[in-house]
Formats: sequence, structure tokens, C-alpha cells
Amino acid sequence: MSLLKTQAVILRSHRWGDADRIVTFFSLQFGKIRGVARGARRLKSRYSGVLEPFGVVELTLFQKTPDSLGTISQIDLVSSCKAIREDLRVMTAAARMVRIVEFITADRDPNHQVYWTLVQSLEMLGPDADLPLTALLFQIHVLGHTGFKPQIEQCTECGKPIGEDPLWFSPRLGGIVCTGCGRNGIGRIILLSKGSAAFMEQARRLPLSCLPRLRAAGRVRIEVTEAVESYFEAVAGKGLPEFEIWASS
Amino acid sequence: MSDQTSKRHTSMNGQPQGLLARLSKELVRLPGIGQKTAQRLAFHLMKVDTEEALRLAEAIREVKEKVSFCTQCRNIAEGSLCAVCLDPKRDVTTILVVEEPSTLHAIEQSRAHRGLYHVLYGALSPLDGIGPSDIRTQDLEERVKQGGIKEVIVATNPTIEGEATAIYLTKRLKPMGVKVSRIAYGIPVGMDIEYADEVTLLKSIEGRRDLG
Repeated sequence: MSLLKTQAVILRSHRWGDADRIVTFFSLQFGKIRGVARGARRLKSRYSGVLEPFGVVELTLFQKTPDSLGTISQIDLVSSCKAIREDLRVMTAAARMVRIVEFITADRDPNHQVYWTLVQSLEMLGPDADLPLTALLFQIHVLGHTGFKPQIEQCTECGKPIGEDPLWFSPRLGGIVCTGCGRNGIGRIILLSKGSAAFMEQARRLPLSCLPRLRAAGRVRIEVTEAVESYFEAVAGKGLPEFEIWASS
Repeated sequence: MSDQTSKRHTSMNGQPQGLLARLSKELVRLPGIGQKTAQRLAFHLMKVDTEEALRLAEAIREVKEKVSFCTQCRNIAEGSLCAVCLDPKRDVTTILVVEEPSTLHAIEQSRAHRGLYHVLYGALSPLDGIGPSDIRTQDLEERVKQGGIKEVIVATNPTIEGEATAIYLTKRLKPMGVKVSRIAYGIPVGMDIEYADEVTLLKSIEGRRDLG
């Protein structure tokens, strides 16, 4: 039996039973954990407003065994990220970020870099930001922090340095392949310009605080988005919420 | 029912057999009913009068055959229109939007709203990819377009999904010239303010109103 105390971001919160909620957290100390908040949907519950996704909380969770579903015994809000709740596109960008972390991290596997990247990125979101680009840069950073850094220095299949040949990105292999390897039945490949490859590398290397200065437009943006999205889907096996869903609003 | 008949329907370990097992299997599919409760209900139905058990079966059959959804507001109805839409005393210029019929029922019991309703059957969810085409927002827009509506009150839950739905409906309906309002947030009646969470307190202070 143990009492876990940690700071955490709420990734997901869903109804359970008559009046409870099951909440998925990405915590600083213990990675991804889940807990049940008993009676959270009742009118006078002390948890009711604190269990919404995107909130940063101080959490105390009681767990009988490491594998069991914990019971939330105390939860205090550190930041509610109020701006996220007021705009549908900001909400979608935040939804993409929490889904990326939820899909790519394993249970009880803490990762401080991913945690702080998530907290800072959620704070950076606002209606004036370039939201699809912010979410894309977050995705590139998280892939790097979780051991899925896209390989763009040399051919992922044969290791040959990439010369003047056109670049191809293989979502299945998670990196660039030379034209020769691209023809050898490695699945879908995406054409990537030198500028797009350089942008991906720069996005990965720059600290998070400098990312709002990065700009991508036209061909580079389309290519990088397609390559990163396809790679993420190959890694996580799931797609992410789309901005186009709100096109009519 | 004799003890002998009862024994024929149970195995050595007391588990229901045959037709009784089938009834138990059907009952366990209901929400909130576990294996043990299903068994207890099945045994209870076997013991009660035939008439009483058949009354339940008849009620289920009638609900499935006669109850459908109101063509106007999508509330539960026993004809093409529900009782609310058929009521001539209702204020037809106001529509209150809810996520589920159970919310409509709760608001009706409070008698706080004397206008019409619209049931969305869900809420928009950027997290789960539930968009406007997945719930009944288009029907609501059509109702407002037909004219005669002065105000739409959005009474979706105060969750991320409910908020997303309220924002979306405001963006869609406001240009049609109707007033769009949201139900108030705040401290529940009878609660001590010191126990309220930060978000509820913030919302209740933001949504404060003049006195006197």
C-alpha cells in the first residue's frame, strides 16, 4: 500500500458508475497514472471543478498495489489553464498535446522532460498563437524526449549519408531513406525537401521557450506535418484530434 | 413454486441453468447490474406471480414499440411530438439546450423553465474527436432558422465538452439574430464557500450579479 504525492497534468477524465470519475494523470514523479475520484460528479463534491483535462494539480493518490487503480484522496489545482477552455481551436491544440503524451508514454514511466514540455506548452497556448504549428513542434519535441527522435542525418535503412538525392521519409522506419532503399518495399514514403528536414532538426534542437519564434509556411509546413503525423501514427497506432473538425465554426 | 422445480433450474453450485441462465444473461447486460444482482433478479422473477412478471415484460415491450423521439426536440415521446412540444402553455420563443433527456427531466422537475427544449444526445469533444456532425446541432440550427425563436439557453454540463458545445453553438446561432445565453455557474445552495474548488469560485465571482 502506498500514498503517491506528486504534481500532475490531467490528461483525461471520464465518467464512471453513478457519480464517480476515472482520471488519467501524467505526473512528474510517477509518469502516467490513473485514479478514481469517488462521488466527483455529485453537486457538492470537493473535486468537481478540479478534475477537468488540461489542469495542473497537486495530487495525493492512494494505491493498494502499483498496478491497481488508485483512489484520489486529495487534489489541489495549481493551474486551470483557463484560456484553453474559451476557444475551440485552442482546446483542440491542447487536446492534441495531452493525447500525444497519453498515447506515447507507458504507465508508471516518469519523464521529467516530457512533463515540463507539456506544462509549458499548455501555458503557451492562446487564441493568437499559430496553434497547428505549436502542436506540431510539441509533437516533435515529445518524440525526441521519448526515444522516437526521427532519424534525418542518414538513411535509416542502410546508414548511407544523404547526398544530393531527393529525401524520402519513411513513417514505418521513423526516418529518412535514400532513393534506393525507398524503392525496396519499406511501405509508404513521403517526399521531404532539404528545407523540411532542416526545419525538423531545428525544431527538435531549439529549447521550448524559443519555439514560438520558429515559422513554417507553404511546402515545408505541409511536408513536415505529413511526415510527423504519419510517423506518430505508426508509433502510437492512433490518430490525433484534428483542427478541421471546427472548420464550420 | 416447489423446491423441486427450483432445483431443476440450478446446478450443484447454485448457478442458474437453462432458461433461467438466459434471463440472468439478459439482465446482466443492463447498466449497473452485475452477475450476482442479475441472478437475484432472475430468481425473484421466477418466484413472483406470473401476472406480475408478465406486466414487466409487457411494459418493456410497450416502451420499445411505442416510445420514440420527438421529431422537433428529440426528447422521448409517445408520438411524433413529446409532451413538452404539445403543451400549448409553453413559451415557444425560448429553447433550452441539454445534452441528454435525463437532464431535460431534471429541469422539468424543477419547473425553472417554461419554454421548449432541444436534446443534443452528447456534447462536442475536441479530446475524443466528437464534432458537430456527431450530435444534434444541425437540427437545432434548422429550428432557429425557421424563425420565431428569441433566445437559446445552453444548459450543457460545465465540463470541457459542455464548454466546447456552448462555444460552438454561440458561434453558430448568434449570427442568426437570436440571444444565446449560458446557465449560471457557481456555489451550490447550502454549501460552505470555503469548501468550493478554485474553478467554481472563479466562475462564481466572474458571473456575479447586481443586488437590489
